Amino acid sequence: MNAQNFADAATDSTAGTERDIKMVARDVNVYYGPKQAIKGVSIEIPTDEVTAFIGPSGCGKSTFLRTLNRMNDTVSGARVEGDIRLDGENIYDSSMDVVQLRARVGMVFQKPNPFPKSIFENVAYGTRIHGLASSRGEMEQIVEQSLKRAGLWDEVKDRLNDSGTALSGGQQQRLCIARAIAVDPEVILMDEPCSALDPIATAKIEELIHELRGRYAIAIVTHNMQQAARVSQRTAFFHLGHLVEYGDTSEMFTNPREQRTKDYITGRYG
Amino acid sequence: MTDPVATPQVPERRPTDWKGKVMQRRIANRYAAERRFHAMGLGAVLLSVGFLAFLLVTMIGNGASGFRRTEILVPVDFAHAAIRLDPASFRGPGREAALAAADFEGVLFESAQARFGGGVFKILSEGAWLTVRNKVADNPDILKGKADIWVPASSAIDRAAKSGTPDPELDRVRKITDVRTSFDVSFLVGADSTDPTMVGVWGAFKGSLLTMLVTLALAFPVGVLSALYLEEYAPRNRWTDLIEVSINNLAAVPSIIFGLLGLAVFLNVMSLPRSAPIVGGLTLALMTMPVIVIAGRNAIKAVPPSIRDAALGIGASRVQVVFHHVLPLALPGILTGTIIGMARALGETAPLLMIGMRAFVSAPPGGLTDPATVLPVQIFLWSDEVSKGFVEKTSAAIIVLLVFLMTMNGLAIYLRNRFERRW
Ligand SMILES: Nc1ncnc2c1ncn2[C@@H]1O[C@H](COP(=O)(O)OP(=O)(O)OP(=O)(O)O)[C@@H](O)[C@H]1O
Ligand SMILES: [Mg+2]
Repeated sequence: MNAQNFADAATDSTAGTERDIKMVARDVNVYYGPKQAIKGVSIEIPTDEVTAFIGPSGCGKSTFLRTLNRMNDTVSGARVEGDIRLDGENIYDSSMDVVQLRARVGMVFQKPNPFPKSIFENVAYGTRIHGLASSRGEMEQIVEQSLKRAGLWDEVKDRLNDSGTALSGGQQQRLCIARAIAVDPEVILMDEPCSALDPIATAKIEELIHELRGRYAIAIVTHNMQQAARVSQRTAFFHLGHLVEYGDTSEMFTNPREQRTKDYITGRYG
Repeated sequence: MTDPVATPQVPERRPTDWKGKVMQRRIANRYAAERRFHAMGLGAVLLSVGFLAFLLVTMIGNGASGFRRTEILVPVDFAHAAIRLDPASFRGPGREAALAAADFEGVLFESAQARFGGGVFKILSEGAWLTVRNKVADNPDILKGKADIWVPASSAIDRAAKSGTPDPELDRVRKITDVRTSFDVSFLVGADSTDPTMVGVWGAFKGSLLTMLVTLALAFPVGVLSALYLEEYAPRNRWTDLIEVSINNLAAVPSIIFGLLGLAVFLNVMSLPRSAPIVGGLTLALMTMPVIVIAGRNAIKAVPPSIRDAALGIGASRVQVVFHHVLPLALPGILTGTIIGMARALGETAPLLMIGMRAFVSAPPGGLTDPATVLPVQIFLWSDEVSKGFVEKTSAAIIVLLVFLMTMNGLAIYLRNRFERRW
């Protein structure tokens, strides 16, 4: 079964269940110069669920995730083909404002990257540049709410003026999540958000993803099969730039349709 | 990448002998290398500290006396002088003209002649009458009688008094009247003069200050914006490569060439005034800008890309990324480059000679277009003078230049540390 056929199959399989779809990608190809990193990927990101992207290293998970909020625009030589829609709007259309798109589709990176500014300023920054708070009081409220939602408030509420870089790795990553949700996005993309974290910090972030689910559409890249199984409802398996299989997480982990998926999930390669 | 890996056959290795002779020798060599490097580094640092100390000690040794001046007390008898001056004429509207016209030199000469007998010009400075004029300007009433006025001594007397060597002329003067050597305010507030006892550095200092202001106001924004544009906006292609190479070459061009360029462009084509701080500043800005661009680009390159991603990822525009994140993080590095460029510009002589800033300017510049000179050129001019009295003035001016330089650098380093942030 090639990727195109599979995508149709995936669409078919979801046709029966009631699902709000936030983002749709159709026949997406991504090239880095002459090298093709994503080959004809079609996928749907549902509104109220967590979608996990899994696959061996270098298969294009990050690349695909970054096409969803056009972060690949900043990579020189990168080229995207195909059709990606957010609520029916083509995000690569010239009428789409990239800045607004990235506010609506937030991103959390693999390596925590807080700004070298105060914790407060880190969270407030996005709100400020998009003019989402009309007063200092409202801003403080947004910051507090975002930090609470990211599960960081109790740890930092007495030191909001300390530098964001002075936090531990796990705290920094939660700060980055708070920063992303402070602009009230519709979709949150997370690229291996726990790869630099210890099990306790990882558990906190997973808990957080559970809480954020329903409020935002979430797509998460992970190398950790247990994590994918724990946090996601939908899973997409990538291999060598192709989307091999896409379906309900529970089904994928118990009864994969493709041999390659089965091999990967059971740890035969990767 | 994904296929099951077959374990490759690795040939059996001999176990490493960590205690063996060869290994012991390697350890000994390593320690020796560390010690050598440590000693060389320390030696280099001590050498440069030694040079700096030597420079400071000789300069202060030679130049400290340049800040002092010998004065002689001369009783000036205005009331009985051959030339009568009317106190009323030095008040009111006609004051300036009267001060310029009155023959103070004659009055002073007459009184001094009466006091010292002869050789007045060997005893008093050529410009001694200026002190008398200033005294009269302050208080015209002294013209009604007799006044004791401290006037600067001649260069020969001045040197004899400072060095302490016996001098018959000085001894004679000492017997007749009081002689004192004290801190010379006029050196700090005056400008160039033909007489070493009358010179001051303020003219050149102000010239340097104005020139540096023009240089900074031009080179800093243009340099920083160029660096930002080249790093953050410009596409990577043959044109930007060409621009990069040109800027690097420009930073290495000998400064005299910039002087010729300034002469050709600012004076001949644009007809800006000769010897003016504005032209000097423009010329030095051309020279400083490439240094700031290069340092700026390196500082901007060193800002981690993850910070840019973070800002872009929450929807900052490119300008916001640059001005909210990249520039603040790069600023310490940019300031370091600016310090280096400005320090070089401050000490520059050759290009300024080309645009006429070596003129004899006896009044501090009032503005950017007035004729002026700068400290290093002033030092160069004084060091060229025949009169012996200029030697200590040259050293004193060097001390002033060094103090200026250190103040400027200190300020810049303070600013840099304030902006310094870790990430
Ligand atoms: N900036 C780039 N320039 C050129 N090639 C790139 C670039 N970024 C990624 N690639 C290539 O594209 C392919 C997909 O990379 P990508 O980073 O998407 O993989 P990934 O699935 O996220 O891997 P990992 O799990 O290791 O993060 C790889 O072969 C990689 O070498
Ligand atoms: Mg990746």
